[in-house]
Amino acid sequence: MTYEQMPEEWQEWINLTPMQRFEQSEIIFANYLAQGGTLDPDPDPTSPFDNAQTSGAGPAYGRPGLRVLRRGAV
Amino acid sequence: MGGQACVFYGAAQFSKDIDFLIVADESNSAQLHTALDELAAERIAVPSFDLAALARGHAVHFRCHAKGVEGLRVDVMAHARGLADFNALWSRRASIEDDEGNHYELLSVPDLVNAKKTQREKDWPMISALVETHYRENSHGPNPDQIEFWFREARVPERLITLASDYPVQASVLSQQRPLLTLAIAQDIEALRLALDTERQAEQALDRAYWEPLRKELEEFRKAERQG
Repeated sequence: MTYEQMPEEWQEWINLTPMQRFEQSEIIFANYLAQGGTLDPDPDPTSPFDNAQTSGAGPAYGRPGLRVLRRGAV
Repeated sequence: MGGQACVFYGAAQFSKDIDFLIVADESNSAQLHTALDELAAERIAVPSFDLAALARGHAVHFRCHAKGVEGLRVDVMAHARGLADFNALWSRRASIEDDEGNHYELLSVPDLVNAKKTQREKDWPMISALVETHYRENSHGPNPDQIEFWFREARVPERLITLASDYPVQASVLSQQRPLLTLAIAQDIEALRLALDTERQAEQALDRAYWEPLRKELEEFRKAERQG
């Protein structure tokens, strides 16, 4: 999508300087880790690197300690 | 060269790993080993750290264990499909310095776009975002190289049509190299959308063909490692 079509959050991100983006990314990354996010790559069947050796076996929806109690309707 | 570069350039908000493009020679290898030792980096997948394998296009995958970077994934590669040799990439790189004097050396946006033309579905929205951000940052008084870059790499139909309208001469000239630009000139947005899909699929097929022998080699590496 063009810049004009992007959600406001993305426009704000693009309007930052490269260094500001890097600093903000560090904060997002820290939050991600604090919430139990895994550093394993997400499984990606379209990637030549996709392999049990290198991909995470954990749930893609959150930290390992979380489990689905109820799935929403399709 | 990967997701972290995309963060700097505005196409991503964070990346879970760091990809390094290196010169695969003996002296650089020694320096890299020193750096990996500092990070307490453990190789976690095949191939092993082998200059010949790197030169053929393989990536070596590490996980760090040093304090402060526990669990961080680092991938090292020396060559990627469609990219120029290291010296050419280095001469075109972007360098960024933070307030503490740390330097970040990044692939240029055009080189990063080329590196992202892979079979992986997730890379293609990244290309669109990289080009769109570059356009946003340079559209007031662009130079001819920047205009050519947008015509060669833009993947948003609306943007291509705007470009063709703003720069009709360049659109006509560059349509010889990228035929779908004729659809942008004609403002046929639906046909343009289809042509962009076809273009992406053709590039993904090229990447799959490039990786086919490397995939087989990876299987052999895994078999050899299992057998000790």
